[in-house]
Amino acid sequence: DGVAVLPAPQNISVQSTNMKHVLTWSPVMVPEEIVYYSVEYQGEYESLYMSHIWIPSNWCSPTTGLECDITDDITATVPYNLRVRATLGSQTSAWSTLKHPFNRNSTTLIPPGMEVTKDGFHLVIKLEDLGPQFEFFVAYWRREPGAKEHVKVVRPGGIPMHLETMEPGATYCVKARTFVKAIGRYSAFSQAECVKVQGESLPL
Amino acid sequence: LRRCLISIDMHRIEESFRGIKKAIQAKDTMQNVTILSPSESLHSIKPLDACCMTKNLLAFYVDRVFKDHQELDPQLLRKISSIANSFLYMQKTLQQCHEQRLCHCRQEATNATRIIHDNYDQLEVRSAAIKSLGELDIFLAWIDKNHQGTSDA
Repeated sequence: DGVAVLPAPQNISVQSTNMKHVLTWSPVMVPEEIVYYSVEYQGEYESLYMSHIWIPSNWCSPTTGLECDITDDITATVPYNLRVRATLGSQTSAWSTLKHPFNRNSTTLIPPGMEVTKDGFHLVIKLEDLGPQFEFFVAYWRREPGAKEHVKVVRPGGIPMHLETMEPGATYCVKARTFVKAIGRYSAFSQAECVKVQGESLPL
Repeated sequence: LRRCLISIDMHRIEESFRGIKKAIQAKDTMQNVTILSPSESLHSIKPLDACCMTKNLLAFYVDRVFKDHQELDPQLLRKISSIANSFLYMQKTLQQCHEQRLCHCRQEATNATRIIHDNYDQLEVRSAAIKSLGELDIFLAWIDKNHQGTSDA
């Protein structure tokens, strides 16, 4: 096993948005040399019952980059320990461990992207495809005093979805938010988007 | 179990199990013996006892099976870790449910659990762990059956 002479990577942190989790660290600088990094993780189970067990990350053992997509490693809603070390030839650094375990329930959920269109008199929405873990709550209403708000659950995203058959001359508005069942959390609602239908509004 | 709403990604667990099933079951040298024998224990459990039985079996796997199995293959280790940590999360969720006294444990569930532990104790510990891992699909299918109707709630 290589002697630990390389400095260990510093400034380890996780950025997590919409259930995509990326581990980042600062470079270990060795002039005119390529330094490799290895990432390992252990879930709460391992840390409780098998603390000697660390599992190589799926994508980054090794890597020359300064970040690692650990989304496929974090597969349960429990705290995960993460660590990184540097390697150069036979030289290996000590492990640097993330200060606080990461739990995916802390991910930042941002409102979904959406396209609201008219297909003749049909109100159609196409939501951003965020992957199988996401459901979408779509609220839509006719813009008039006292209008009732309707809600539809859409799963998955990425496919145009018919919401309503609209009346001529009326304006309809739509907003959406995401729900991730695995962590039991919602995003905020998106900005509302409105469309106006051609033609004369029908006499009451 | 319906009232103990557990927001578990069963598809992910089943996918992880499919990834280990062939390799694990190939290591099981005693095919004529079973630990989670469906006829005797699990399928005789009534809905009223489902939550307690789930809790007991999660503990069986978390406290015994995963500990007793030493996996060296990194790919298998990844998938077993995924299942073990998901079971740990399920335990926590059911624990909250138990505190709301929605997860009663009657004698039937206790007896069925003891049969499974007795079956486990009959075997050498590594063999017992391998067999129990290979029979995870029985437990997962049973959870799915008792879990229907809550996953879209």
